[in-house]
Amino acid sequence: MTGKDHMPDGDFLGKEEAVFLKLDQISFSYSGKKSAVLSGVSLSFSRKGITAIIGPNGCGKTTLTKLMVGILSPIDGAITLEGRSLQEYTLAQIGRRIGYVFQNPNHQLFCSTVAEEIGFGLTSRGEEPEAIRERVDFFLDYFDLLSYRDQFPLHLSYGEKQRLAIAAVLAGAPGFLILDEPTVGLDAYRKKLLLNQLYKVAAMGGGMVIVSHDRDLVEQAAGRIITLENGRVKQDSGWKGENGHAS
Amino acid sequence: MRLDPRTKLIMVLCVTTLAVIYNTAEALLLLLAATIGLLLLFGIDLKQVIIGLKPYFFLLLVLFWAQCIFTPGGEVLLAIGPVRLLGTRGLLLGTSVVLRLLVVIAAAVILTTSNSRDFITGLVQWKVPYEIAFMVSVTISFLPVFRDELVNVVTAVQLRGVELKQVPWGKKIYLFRHLFFPVVYGAILKAQQLSVAMEARGFRAYPRRTYLRQLYLTRWDYGLMLACPGLTLLMIGLYKANLG
Repeated sequence: MTGKDHMPDGDFLGKEEAVFLKLDQISFSYSGKKSAVLSGVSLSFSRKGITAIIGPNGCGKTTLTKLMVGILSPIDGAITLEGRSLQEYTLAQIGRRIGYVFQNPNHQLFCSTVAEEIGFGLTSRGEEPEAIRERVDFFLDYFDLLSYRDQFPLHLSYGEKQRLAIAAVLAGAPGFLILDEPTVGLDAYRKKLLLNQLYKVAAMGGGMVIVSHDRDLVEQAAGRIITLENGRVKQDSGWKGENGHAS
Repeated sequence: MRLDPRTKLIMVLCVTTLAVIYNTAEALLLLLAATIGLLLLFGIDLKQVIIGLKPYFFLLLVLFWAQCIFTPGGEVLLAIGPVRLLGTRGLLLGTSVVLRLLVVIAAAVILTTSNSRDFITGLVQWKVPYEIAFMVSVTISFLPVFRDELVNVVTAVQLRGVELKQVPWGKKIYLFRHLFFPVVYGAILKAQQLSVAMEARGFRAYPRRTYLRQLYLTRWDYGLMLACPGLTLLMIGLYKANLG
């Protein structure tokens, strides 16, 4: 199974697929900086398939993902989520729709134990303790974190933190995922495990965007590849069928 | 106006000294207004400061209520049966505590307008032992780290679906453990990593060091360094005279 097995039918964004997240002529620059990080970026994403965003360092990939989840606000242009302006949503409402894995796992781990970290989203949603425990156990086992169950997350190695950050987001079963450099710090075996889990999410009808420099991951998993350069979309391969990503 | 970091340090010392000595809400409010005026003079974006302080507002509110509830004396303003919830003295003391903290935080923001290395250079030029100058500099450079860490944690908690504004008061305490624990512990870890990284590059607090860059005090610096402590003493004198 590969990411391409879960691509929307039809060409770019699929005629049958409803637009989940839409960026319309987005521009952004950080305060105090004259040059824009992103300018005139227009993209649409449905809740199916794996999209990869690639590009050299500093081209605006992470900034783009932060705009997509409302951490940053564009200085120009509009972002809509399920047809409504992203500004109408609180971060928590966005978080329930989009799971976001930060580029640096240290920025998103805040609980006192590994198990608590994975179950945090489920607990705050008021899910049954038994269901939470079951799901936490599954992800601890799946991401090889069982022996760290009661450890303090910030004491883990970088790769372990990365796995934990991904597990904590996946445990919430969001319908759409944005993963910023998810394979940094993962060995080949763990990378394969992550990919399998992402395929499962895609098979269950969840769309996702992966920002990555990992050529293997992109070529293996992505059904659509967007190339950013100097804050602009240089190329968007669109969904082109079984072998159709960027040529 | 580009001031020497030592001038800024003295200004902040003067403001915080006044904040500690002033004990009335009126005096502290005036001091806060003056400190905000200083921030504007330094070209600091107040909006950004307020956004940065947002996560601390709850803590300030808790401090305020703690003072209101546990300070005896004064006229009772709110009570449930025999239990006094709010008195005039508690209200004034709570307001004073919050204002004092705001003054100290606002004054500390002034220090972030200079490079932390300049503080070391400046203090060493004043013959302050390098160890102490370095400690001051590290403390100052950690202020934005604390702020950024807190912003990250608040964002991460919300992105896991938690509406911070709608969390009931009882659960807020539990949630704040999540907000502050990783920030404080993360800062300790960062400090440890910093010390290892520095020692790995051969850092030692040798008494004799050389500096490429030298700081020079301008007339403005000399003027402010004399005026600020003088003004502070005058304000303390006036305040004590008013109280007496």
